[in-house]
Parts: sequence; C-alpha cells; structure tokens
Amino acid sequence: MKRALIALMVAGAVALIAKFAPDAVSLAAGQAGQRGAPTATPAPAATAPSEPAPRMADGKPDLSGVWWNGGDVGSRGLRGGARGARGAPAPPSYTSLYNAAALEKAKTLNDSHDPTLRCIPTAFGTLNVSLYSVGAVGQIISTPKFVVMLQETYHGYQLIPTDGRKHREDIPPAFRGDSVGHWEGDTFVVDTTNFTDDTWMFAEGRVSFHSDALHIVERYRRVDKNTLEIEATVEDPKVLTGPWTVPKQTLVLAPFDQIMALNCSTESDSVMQGAFKSIAK
Amino acid sequence: MKRSVYAVLLCGLLLAGVGVPAWAHHSFAAAYDMTKPVTVEGVIDQVRLTNPHSWFVIDVKDAGGKVTQWKFEAGTPSGMLRNGFKPNVIKHGAEVTISGFHAKDPTLNVGMLRELTTKADGKKYGMFGPQEGPGAQ
Repeated sequence: MKRALIALMVAGAVALIAKFAPDAVSLAAGQAGQRGAPTATPAPAATAPSEPAPRMADGKPDLSGVWWNGGDVGSRGLRGGARGARGAPAPPSYTSLYNAAALEKAKTLNDSHDPTLRCIPTAFGTLNVSLYSVGAVGQIISTPKFVVMLQETYHGYQLIPTDGRKHREDIPPAFRGDSVGHWEGDTFVVDTTNFTDDTWMFAEGRVSFHSDALHIVERYRRVDKNTLEIEATVEDPKVLTGPWTVPKQTLVLAPFDQIMALNCSTESDSVMQGAFKSIAK
Repeated sequence: MKRSVYAVLLCGLLLAGVGVPAWAHHSFAAAYDMTKPVTVEGVIDQVRLTNPHSWFVIDVKDAGGKVTQWKFEAGTPSGMLRNGFKPNVIKHGAEVTISGFHAKDPTLNVGMLRELTTKADGKKYGMFGPQEGPGAQ
C-alpha cells in the first residue's frame, strides 16, 4: 500500500514536470533527438483594428519595428499559448527529418551540450523565427539598401542587402550565415547560407544540430501595421531526409520601439554540466 | 523515516505543480531537482542581469556565523525587465529570502529561483520579475 502510494506520488510528480517542462522529461528518457519544434506560434495579443502596413519610399512594405509574440518569455501572455492549440496535429519537426546518421549522433547529445549555454547563438531560432534566434524579441530596421535584423538576446544581427547582389564568397562561414534578400511583390524573401556547423537550430536545450550545408529561405510579409507573417523552408542534405517546411509564424508589433542590449554569461553552463554529472552517478 | 519520504514526495508534487514556469529555458527540470525545495535567507551580494539567464547571488550566514554563498538562477533579463523588474531595486546588501529548487548536483550551492521576498518591504518577485511591466501581458 505504502509502495503504491509512493509510486503514485512519483508518477504524479513526473507528470507535472512533464506538463511544465516536457523537454526535460524527454531528455531523461533518452529521446533527445526526437524532440520537435514548437508546433504553433502563440496567439497574438489582442489589438485594435490595425492600419495598413507602412511603406518605404520605393513602395515596398516597411518591415521596421520590434516584433514579438505578444509577451516575453515567462510572461503570462506567452505562457498562455506557447504550446499551441490542444488537439491540433503536430506538423513535422526539424529533428523528425533527421537521417539515420543524424539520429545516431543525436543520441549522444543532450541539454548540457546546447551551444547557447556558452553564449553562442542559434542558426535559426527557438520559436522558428530567425529574427529572434535565442529569446522571443527581435527588431527590423529597413533602409533603401539593407534590411537589418537585430536579435535581442545575444545581440546578434543580420545585414540583408536588397540590391540584387549575390551571396558573398569572400567570407568564412558564420554562426548566423550570410543572407541576401529580394522582394516578390509584397513578400520579402531572405536566402541564408554559409553557416558554421557548430551551432544548433534552436536553444532551450533542444538537440538540433545541423551541418555546413544548411540553407534557410524565409518569406516575410507585413500583412498590416501590427502583424508580420513569416514562412520558411529549411534544407540540409547532410542531416535531413528532405526539406523542412516550417509552420507559419505570426508576430505582432511590440509596444516599444527599441530592443535591449544585455550581456551573456556562461554561468548556466556549469549548472547544466553539474546536473548531467549528477544523473550519470 | 518513511513519513519524511512521503513529505518530500508530497512537497515535490505540490511545488512541481506551481513552481516551474511553462516556458522555462534550458529544461530547468533537467538541471534542478524539483523534489528538493530549498529556502535560504541572507544578504544579496550581486544581481547579474545576464543572458541567457539572470542570477541572484546571496550570502547566507548559519547559526555559527559561517557565511556560505548561494546562487539562484532566474529568467531572461530582457523578460524580467519588461515584466517590471528594475535593475537597481534589489541592491548589494539587501536582506532577502529566496525559495526555489536545489541543483541536481548536491555539491553545488545553486538553485532555481521560484520566489524572492525582500525583507524591507515584503515585495515578492518570481523567476521573471514582478509581472507588472509591458511584457507581463
């Protein structure tokens, strides 16, 4: 009876932890490579009827603004919808497309290997938004010649030329790759290649390595003043069995016009190493 | 002994249910033992508003006067700040009580912050600040 009670309590505790931190439980179960991307963008915060998207002098939509999901990580707004609609079928995740070799490699990795614990940015973004990378806030500044994307959490950036130039061939691979952009009607298409292979696609301890063949194409559309829609396709023939179609993300204009610059510390890295050292004992 | 086992498990159940943010970074549950709640009282040494997570460093004095330094991990600094946390509101020397969960490595004096209470005014802060700012919708 007492054993059954203890078993019940342990099961309950595990279930609660699974509810609040499912990644951790799948890690403990040795399924690190199977964890998928978030399946849906949190519902945008309710806003007043929006005005049309502003436009640049050349008539193209002006993507400028601070964009987020309607709240910060940890806020009530983002917590409410971060896991997507209940009962909705989950679209394929990035890691669900891993080839056999990648699946084997994923088994050797866990949360403690996440490069972002050492202040290295992601190649893509935790919420499937390259503009965010780590975290859930990013800023776009549009100029006649460049679209500049600024990441808040690790103060990274992408300079995206829009004058028709090709990818640079005179620079080494980079954490965030090399981007060029062009307009297809009112849709801004960003093509990014030339990544290093030592970052992960996502943060949050989600095993999601890629190779130097990573190629990301994103399509940004400011549908009105307050709404930015992003669709993307990810290819990596060295680790994926086929292209990954990223679920459409819908971002909202934040009620502030400037992201913050905050330093990164590797302090969390030692805690995570300690955790896995403890598990191995 | 068995009663204490039940008590620990029950505490784990209750605290796991209310204390772990749904959107915690880096699988806090992988790094911290949710069945080992910990509460310390002491004096703030540093508040580090750093990415990817912030840290509260606190000096804890035992009955014999020996001081041990603890570190508690909190939320993303940008999130804390937009949720209403002010950079200098909890200063070096502030007396506080911090409750949370102990790191899985028992040799570390490290925890995950669940709640911080300032002795001066009794104000409470969570992992992501006071949830009062523009980010706390």
